[in-house]
Amino acid sequence: MNATILLWQKQMKKALVHPEEIVGMLIQPILWVILFGVGMRSLMGTTTPNSGNDYMTFVVPGIVALTAVSAAIAGGSTWLNERLIGIVKEYLAAPIPRLSILMGNASSIVTKVLIQSVIILIVGLLMGATLSSNPLGWLGGLLLIAGYGIGFSGFALAVASSTDSSEGYHMMIFLLQLPLLFLSNSLYPLQTLPAWMRIGAYANPTTYVVTGLRQITLGAAPTMGPLANIPLWLCFLIAGVFAAFGMNLALRAFKAAIK
Amino acid sequence: MNTNGMAISTRGLVKRFDEEVLAVDSIDLSIPVNTIYALLGPNGAGKTTTVSMLTTLVEPTSGQAQISGLDVVQQADKVRQRIGVTFQEIVLDPDLTGRESLDFHARLYGIGKAERLAKIDELLKLVELDEAADRRTNTYSGGMKRRLELARGLITSPEVLFLDEPTQGLDPQNRTNIWQYIRNLKADTNMTLLLTTHYMDEAEALADRVGIMDQGKIVVEGTPAELVDQMGSDNIRVVGRGNSDAFCEKVKTLSNVETVNKSNGIIQVGVDSGNRRLVEIVEMANDSGFGIEDISVSKPSLGDVFLKYTGRQLRDI
Ligand SMILES: Nc1ncnc2c1ncn2[C@@H]1O[C@H](COP(=O)(O)OP(=O)(O)OP(=O)(O)O)[C@@H](O)[C@H]1O
Ligand SMILES: [Mg+2]
Repeated sequence: MNATILLWQKQMKKALVHPEEIVGMLIQPILWVILFGVGMRSLMGTTTPNSGNDYMTFVVPGIVALTAVSAAIAGGSTWLNERLIGIVKEYLAAPIPRLSILMGNASSIVTKVLIQSVIILIVGLLMGATLSSNPLGWLGGLLLIAGYGIGFSGFALAVASSTDSSEGYHMMIFLLQLPLLFLSNSLYPLQTLPAWMRIGAYANPTTYVVTGLRQITLGAAPTMGPLANIPLWLCFLIAGVFAAFGMNLALRAFKAAIK
Repeated sequence: MNTNGMAISTRGLVKRFDEEVLAVDSIDLSIPVNTIYALLGPNGAGKTTTVSMLTTLVEPTSGQAQISGLDVVQQADKVRQRIGVTFQEIVLDPDLTGRESLDFHARLYGIGKAERLAKIDELLKLVELDEAADRRTNTYSGGMKRRLELARGLITSPEVLFLDEPTQGLDPQNRTNIWQYIRNLKADTNMTLLLTTHYMDEAEALADRVGIMDQGKIVVEGTPAELVDQMGSDNIRVVGRGNSDAFCEKVKTLSNVETVNKSNGIIQVGVDSGNRRLVEIVEMANDSGFGIEDISVSKPSLGDVFLKYTGRQLRDI
């Protein structure tokens, strides 16, 4: 536990050394909401009446998921870099649990994701999204985001542990990232899409996290579509399972790499 | 395995990376406490792989290794608490300052704040980095980085310290400074040091015992003096054309010739006094029709020992 906190601190401190990273981290979600959210809202507003602000409410959780995925990819990239320079050997020779090395990394990624999520919610509100009036819903939302962030960080760390090439890493991650984001209800409602895409969405943890957020963290949006009736407990369960699965995957890839 | 009083001991230690690459080929080491042991060998000999197994970073394919009687696989965590290591390549986080690097490292080992602060100051002085301590390490020169790494290896007061090529890439002055730190450490503490090098002068200058490593094996081991003494008091190297075997046989019959070795076309003759025997050997060559192309006299070095055991030159630098 101590080692996890220590590695978390180190990663956070490293981020603070680079102001451009911090600025990018803060501005990126704002741009997403304004450029993507507002643009899509206008489109939606012209096809279905009264649904402009509804779409903003609808898409904010999707943008949160997207940002979480970007942050995890950046975190995996940092990890790959530390592996290639050899910094990881310092952790490996130290008397700390192997899992804490990964948890330290994943938790620093999630910290950044949570900060970004709060920004997205605030900017989303300014742009017309509605928020749930229940603060417990906000807390629950942060939990869902944390689970999702840890899970995808696990995937990114696993890939970063099993390749020695930065290009290879980004290629592999891209193949994971695309279906995870677009084969879900995060950016558009699925009712107009073919059945196979809906099946894909049901198999995708992003759908559950995004749906959970829509149910408890944001205001109700009528355009949520057929996936909205997933029970809330299932959303939390899947976020938890995804987090555990991702970290397990990372740990195994990590251990295989140091054999 | 009996490891009484041994800081490092291995039995039949093997590391095979693929079917083809046998990086470490069954080595047996017994290194007593408070010894400086140098693994000397050319590129690819298996030095780093040996250190990696001893420091729990790589699992042995077979065989056993213990640090202070603790098994590096079964009791890896306990071993990690007792060792320090500096790696062959420089592994400093470019985003941390020198002081932060030391602080982070000490915290990894659970060292309390008061002790940490005291040790950091002490070590920064020792390696003469107190003035640069609050600069990020990406602004350090190669020598400064090496010294910081040495300080980092020491901050946890390890029982056994592994230094993989500690002076690689350093200028002569920095090298001698690091040598001095290493000697002082041995004298002032009960620490055991295992270092790897391919500089024979480094092994000669520092080590209580030297293991010459080649192609995954320790081909010969002993104190530097023992190893060099086997070569005779002076060493005459002869390179030439003709029937070298017959020539060697004849040289062996000379009095005051202690050893004759031929490897890779180079004949090494250990004699009591090089200058006095040189003429005799040249005459002997003329008599036996062996055409000398090059002949030199030197004090024998670990490089000559290496040549004798492996048939290859240990390229210096
Ligand atoms: N991870 C690895 N995978 C495959 N082969 C490896 C690996 N690490 C080392 N080897 C091989 O094992 C052999 C020994 O390498 P090692 O790094 O231990 O040598 P070394 O004595 O430290 O050499 P140098 O003086 O160049 O540092 C080499 O043939 C090397 O190619
Ligand atoms: Mg090496």
